[in-house]
Amino acid sequence: MLGNPFGLWTLVKREMIRSLKIINQVIWPPIITTLLYVFVFGLALGSRIPNVQGVSYAQFLIPGLIMLQVIDSSYGECSSSLFQGRFMNSIQELLIAPMSALEIVAGYVLGSLARSFLIAGLITGLGIVLVHIAPSDWPLYVSVIAMVSVLFSALGLIFGLVADKFDHIAILTTFIITPLTFVGGVFTSATMLPPALRSLELFNPIFYTIDAFRRSYTGESYLDPAFSLGMIALLAAIALATILRMTAIGYKLRT
Amino acid sequence: MKRYGSFTAVDGISLRVRVGEFFGFLGPNGAGKTTSINAIVGLARTSGGAIRIFGHDNRTQWRQARRLIGLSPQEYNFDRYLSLRDVLIFAAGYYGLHGKAIAERADMLLERFGLSAHAHLEYTKISGGQKRRLSLARALIHQPSLLILDEPTAGVDVELRLELWEWLRKLNADGLTVFLTTHYLEEAEQLCRRIAIVRDGRIVTEKPTEELVADGASLQDVFLELTRS
Repeated sequence: MLGNPFGLWTLVKREMIRSLKIINQVIWPPIITTLLYVFVFGLALGSRIPNVQGVSYAQFLIPGLIMLQVIDSSYGECSSSLFQGRFMNSIQELLIAPMSALEIVAGYVLGSLARSFLIAGLITGLGIVLVHIAPSDWPLYVSVIAMVSVLFSALGLIFGLVADKFDHIAILTTFIITPLTFVGGVFTSATMLPPALRSLELFNPIFYTIDAFRRSYTGESYLDPAFSLGMIALLAAIALATILRMTAIGYKLRT
Repeated sequence: MKRYGSFTAVDGISLRVRVGEFFGFLGPNGAGKTTSINAIVGLARTSGGAIRIFGHDNRTQWRQARRLIGLSPQEYNFDRYLSLRDVLIFAAGYYGLHGKAIAERADMLLERFGLSAHAHLEYTKISGGQKRRLSLARALIHQPSLLILDEPTAGVDVELRLELWEWLRKLNADGLTVFLTTHYLEEAEQLCRRIAIVRDGRIVTEKPTEELVADGASLQDVFLELTRS
């Protein structure tokens, strides 16, 4: 129920201010990491790899690296902000205000979406300047970033609520998200993999995100992008429904 | 009523605070004061019963009810990324309020509570007494009709305590209903028109202050007699 849109917007602004206040922690590191990946894997080692999906290996890397950082940023933003709010009790400001569960969740998710688009935009700019590649299908580019950011922001909120200490937040990134992202096609095309591994990729949700997103650059993908977008939308809807329910019942928020 | 598993923290507390009243809600540690406040403001879900804020049920008409309440909690819970001025402006924003009038009200409250010189600092850079005043200013930014104060003078020096009393008297005189919990019994005696004393989650007495301290007994004597195990 959206009865307090300005309350929602205030939370979005608050999340954006938080991102800018900790810019050295959340904005520059993904940019510098991407630069290193492009120089080391793309330009140095990549010169020994033939063209992939019709582009150089360095160009092939860019969309995968954007997805890697969008996933990491969305999850990190929401999980740490919500957990910190619980830890410092500042979340009580939202809980006593006339804001619904939908407005609170949407505020965090939209704040995270803004950060994701900022990071994606900066890396896209790096791709244009360094390896001369830009997206060719902008609607697909924007749709995938938005849907992936919503999915991982919702997961971040779920773990920000479930966690009892900061360490718990890292469990999902360390043991699930990072490994699945690295084997999900950031550095490789599905066509480079042996057939058995290729089938296994279909059980990796992050594969769908990178495969669909890369199509916005190269025009080629292993799967039909509509199918991939459908999978991401389904997962995002499940994650959103879960966090909305948790917030509405006040799980670990209201005693 | 509020239960945590088999433990009953608040057991059938029934009270009515009148509009414009300065009401004291006293009790020893663990008596159920903060749990009751949390239930009123929506931070705790009640296990039974109903709470109405100026006629609005705080479960079914929660938006209307919450708009009417300002809370100054026992522990500081400010947003660490905001300046003092933004703490007030963002707090108003969560209530759906914005614009020039809110910016002016924030400046007025900062001025009134002696915080103007620190308006652009983060709350971690100000003293405990200044944080207390900021907490009060934040509770007032959306012009609530009911101000709930959970131990507002805990940990502040005598001078500031007297200053805070003066501000609270003025706010109440201007028509604001005040609901106060405190461990300082002289504070309750000085400020409150009516007092309820709770013990083990139940109200043991609820009377006008002058009736409680009739017959020459101090509020402390009455409190100890009613709450001692």
